[in-house]
Order: sequence, then structure tokens, then C-alpha cells
Amino acid sequence: MPKPRDFTKGLYKIRTTANKVPMDQDLFKIITDGMPGTSMPPWAVLPDKDRWNLVAYIKTFAPDAFKEAPKKLDLPKDVSSSETSLKRGKEMFEAIECHKCHGTEGRADGPSRPELKDEWGFPVAPANLTKRWTFRGGASRTDIATRLANGVLGTPMPAFLDSVEKPEDIWHLTNYIVSLGPERPRYATLITVSATKDALPDDPNAEFWKKATASAIPLMGQVIVDPRNFNPVIDLVTIRAAYNDTEVAFHLTWDDPSETKGDGKQTFPDAISLQFPPQITASTERPYFLMGDASEAVYLLRWQQGKGVGEASANGPAKIAPLQGGEVSGKVVYTNGQYRLVMKRPRIAKGEGRPTFQPAVFTPVAIQAWDGGAGESGTRMSLTSWYYLRLEEPQSNRRFVIPPVVAILTLAAMFLVVRAANRAR
Amino acid sequence: MRKGLTIGTAVALVTGAAMWFATTVGAQGGGTVEVEVKYNGAPQVEKLKVNKDTEKCGTETTIEKVVVGGNKGLANAVASAPGAKGASKAKAVIDQHGCKFVPHVVVMQPGEIEIKNSDDILHNIHTYSTANPSINKAQPKFKKVMTEKLEKPEFVKVTCDVHSWMLGWVAVVPGVAAATDTNGVAKLENVPAGKQKIEVWHETLGKQEKEVDVKAGSVTKVSFEMKGK
Ligand code: HEC
Ligand SMILES: [Cu+2]
Repeated sequence: MPKPRDFTKGLYKIRTTANKVPMDQDLFKIITDGMPGTSMPPWAVLPDKDRWNLVAYIKTFAPDAFKEAPKKLDLPKDVSSSETSLKRGKEMFEAIECHKCHGTEGRADGPSRPELKDEWGFPVAPANLTKRWTFRGGASRTDIATRLANGVLGTPMPAFLDSVEKPEDIWHLTNYIVSLGPERPRYATLITVSATKDALPDDPNAEFWKKATASAIPLMGQVIVDPRNFNPVIDLVTIRAAYNDTEVAFHLTWDDPSETKGDGKQTFPDAISLQFPPQITASTERPYFLMGDASEAVYLLRWQQGKGVGEASANGPAKIAPLQGGEVSGKVVYTNGQYRLVMKRPRIAKGEGRPTFQPAVFTPVAIQAWDGGAGESGTRMSLTSWYYLRLEEPQSNRRFVIPPVVAILTLAAMFLVVRAANRAR
Repeated sequence: MRKGLTIGTAVALVTGAAMWFATTVGAQGGGTVEVEVKYNGAPQVEKLKVNKDTEKCGTETTIEKVVVGGNKGLANAVASAPGAKGASKAKAVIDQHGCKFVPHVVVMQPGEIEIKNSDDILHNIHTYSTANPSINKAQPKFKKVMTEKLEKPEFVKVTCDVHSWMLGWVAVVPGVAAATDTNGVAKLENVPAGKQKIEVWHETLGKQEKEVDVKAGSVTKVSFEMKGK
């Protein structure tokens, strides 16, 4: 977890100035909006006057640092996005070698990543440039251009204003970064499993999967039972799913900066699992979302680096028993900081402890994921509470509308997890 | 009032003349101080496997914390005579070469430093300073030379975040100063005659100072022994 700012150092990562001293407005903005990806919350609830008083107060902690007047940074003249600008931006990204830290496709998987430290000696991860909403200094074009010109003070992220070929390259780079991902993720509340008569391809890169509907699901660090995970790496999993008469297949995409089998001491195998109740009934009763408990088990369809796809039954995170004899298959690919995985099994359960997937039935589902390279294993994981998926009826091309009650249930469950998480802190 | 002014002027003239005399004599009739820095402990040089940019960086590099040469001489220490003004203003240069800062310690007068990248790959120049503004600028392969200002006396640590083992130092020293060679010797030229303070600094072994009596036109030797921490 990023360390709380030591105000006495007067070193503020996010600023719009050309020197070390932030503008009062920079501090005001951080207090108002918080800092995404950190535990600095937004304080917009405070009246303006109180927030300005807070700015003045913070400055008293490091009077020396504020002696020098802030020098307003002059950004080069804005260049709007276009095909030529994006081309130039990509060229510069490659010529400068941003990938050394941020990775070829910007997913924070560059070769220098494992060694990056901030000025206080703590490890710091490069930003995932495909997830703009996690940028500490904001996701707008001006925010990004300012960060590129200035760098992020106190971290390895250098300033580029003096290092680009031409000043306007700052904007070409900005436009290129903006093209790498959405400003905000659009999270799904219901996962649709589409019906098909075709075979379900094992290959995660098959054309079939590119056309399938994608649902983005947010994950959080597990902070309810020890050992907890306050600094989760995997914060989003995208699910695509399809079924035919005999089989059901799940296609999962998630970012992980390293493909890890693990040494069993500091690092562990990367892994992911989809969790379902062992029987799917019409009742809204579901097993405990954290891998079930002593009285009620859950069913896991899971994948682990080096082991492949398998099934298991769990009565809590410490009691997981593999299920033998299932007909599961699947395939994983890892490229440029991203896993893509297909897990496939018979639609009708073969053997005990496994659910059958029926069309038009609301099926509870939850996700757990581990970045073994970051030392995650066991209860040190990212997870979701229960979500719902639904196998669409065959021949129906009408898009299903989520009943409000399902949406509310999903939201309520998420809220409970967040509250538990906040209490645990 | 008038009398006061005259006396004042006279005093000013006399001191001015005295100062002029002192500096000219100092510059022309200064002496050389040969500083010898010794270290009795074991050298600290670590080898490290390199797994990136191996074409430019090689597959192995050394981290030179304490380099001890012939006769227990300590290399990469900085000797200076802070009282000796008017040292050479030659432009300081540090090069990022073979994924190392060359030289490991650059000695400069407060002013400008030229930073080179001879490697044809990305480096960044990241300074850790308190007196000077800290710098963290990318130096891509097409940016062969950058110029930065270091105007306040300070020993500035320099790193490159792309290659975490890269470490160098810039000694911003106002007086006459030089880094010790592999035998632990640094020659300070043109040090004004008379009592002078000589300082020695090393990145891991700290600072020491001594006073020497510099004789015009001759070499004064002074020896330091650094202690392990
Ligand atoms: C030496 C490693 C390194 C290099 C090279 C590098 N970055 Fe970064 N970058 C980082 C780190 C580390 C962070 C995260 C800082 C933090 O979390 O406070 C970051 C953050 C960012 C951010 C997010 C800023 C924010 O508001 O949080 C953007 C955008 C970015 N980098 C773009 C780039 C681009 C474009 C390049 C090449 C022109 C580049 N970076 C080169 C290390 C690097
Ligand atoms: Cu480097």
C-alpha cells in the first residue's frame, strides 16, 4: 500500500508546476479528489473553506519547502488526437522506451518493473497505462500531459519535457496513452453466457471469443481473514462465456505483470478460480462468499500456473479438496502482461459436488485471483462477492434486462464486502 | 564626518590592497597538496548478474562501494581545500556508459554539468539532493547530451531507475578539489600558501578533515586514514 505522505518533506508527487513546489490548487485538488489507487480518500464533502484551510495547514509542516514560489509549468501547445498523432505517439513511446517500465502494451510489465523503488526505498509499481482511472494524478488529457512533462516526484517516473524530440511530442504521447484504454471501466452487474450451436473453442485467441460479449468485474483485496491482502494486484477480470447443448466455457482476461510458477517461498503459482454453489436452486440462499464454510461447500472451477484447469470443492479457504474425474479442459496464453484463459466443462454435472448450468436461471458466481509473482497465495488474494450469470435462452436474440432486485442484491453484497474491508483496516 | 569618511576610505584601501596581495600571491605562489587516503578494511565490491539490456550492459556488473587499490589506497574519495578559491572552471561531465556512471565520482565547481548517454538505450538521471533541486529526467537514446545545473555545494547521489544497480556521485565543491585515483592519491594544485583546511569525503566511509601548512611552490603531503562504519 502506498505509504501516507510525509508532509514534513514537502515533496508532493502530483503537481502542475515546473519546480518542486506545488501550487495551492494542486494540494486543493488532491484533498478534494483524493488519489486513485491509494488510501487517500476524496474530501469533497468538506466545505471549500475547510479544504483551503487544510491546504494552509499542510504547508506549515514544511515551511522551508514552500519558501520558493511555485513556478507554473507551461505545457506545449495542445495537439488534438488524430491518426497521425497516435502514430507519432506510438513511435515516441517506442523510441523513448517507456516499455522498460510500463511494458510493450502498457500493462506495467516492463523488465525494470521488479526493481523500481520510490525515494523512500519502498517498491513502487509502474502505472498500468491501459487503466487510466488508476492514475494518481487524474485521467484527463491535461492531467496526463502534465505528468509526462513533470514526472511523478519521488518515484522513478521521470520528467520528459526536456527529453522528447519536439515539445509537442508530450501531446502525441498523451493521445497515445488515452487510446490504450477507457477513462473508466464499465462494470457489469450480470454476466451473460451466450448460446451457440457451434463448438466452444479452447484457444483463448480464437475469433469466436473476440466477438463474445465482455463483462468487466472489479476485484478487491481479501481483508476479512488472516493473512490479508491490503495491496492486491489483480483489480479487474473480464469474463466472456458461452454454452452449447453439451458444454459451457468461460473465457477470462486479466492483467498480471509476470507469468509466475513460483518458488514456493516468496513467489507462488499465478491462479484464478470461478466459484459456484454446488447446486443451483431458485432460492436466494447462497454459501458464504469467501469459499464457503463448514456447513455449506462451494464448487470451484479453477486454473493454476503449471497445473492447468481443475475442479475442487471448498469449505472455506483452508479446506479445499480437488474433485477427481471431471471432464474439464482449457488453455491459457500469456502475452505482454495479460493472461487469457479458457476453462471448459460439461454443461450437465458429471459427478458429485458440481452444479448443472441451465438456461434462464440466475446462477451465483464469484471470482478469486492470485498474482503469485507478488507473493499472493491462500487467503492473500483478490476476490469478488457473489455476482450472477445467466445462460441466455437459445434462439433468443433479445437482450435480457436485469431485474432490479438482482442488481440491488449484487450491489448490496459488494457494499458488505467493502464495509468488512474498511472495518478490517 | 569628513574625517570619518577619509579614515574609512583609507581602511578600505589598505584592506583591499592586502586582499589583492594575498590572492595574487596565492594564485601565483600557491602550493600543491598531495592527499593520500588510506583504508585498512576490506574492499566492498559486489558482483551482480544483469538480466536486461545485456548487449549494452553486459551480463555481469560490479557495485563498487569501497574500492581499495595498491598500498591500501582508497579510490573514489574526494579531497578538497574549501578555502582555495579560483579553481579551474572546466565543465564537469558524467557519462552513462555500459550502464555505469563514468566516472563513478565527478568533481565539479558549482555550476553546470554535462550528462551524456553513450549507450544507445534509455537511461534516466535521478539525483538525490537537498541543497539543489532534485532532478529525475529521462535520457532516451536520441538524447546524447543533457545539461543540468548544480549550483549549491553538496555531494549528490545519482541513480538510473531503468538499471537499478547504476550509482554515481557528483561532488559539487567550491574550492580546489579532486577525486583520488586507484592508489588513493589526489593532487590539489594552486592551493594558497598558509594554513588550509583539507577535507576528505567518501560515499560510504564519511568525512574527515585536517589542517595543513601549505608552502608556496612546493608539494605538501597529507595522509588520511578512513575508518569503516
Ligand atoms: C524508470 C521507469 C519508468 C519509465 C522509463 C517511465 N515510467 Fe511512467 N511511471 C513509472 C512509475 C513507477 C509510475 C508510478 C508512479 C506512482 O505510482 O506514483 C509511472 C506512472 C506513469 C503514469 C501515471 C501518472 C499518474 O498520474 O499516476 C503515466 C501516464 C506514465 N507513467 C507514462 C509514461 C510514459 C508515456 C513513459 C515514456 C515516455 C513512461 N511513463 C516512462 C515509471 C516509469
Ligand atoms: Cu540506466
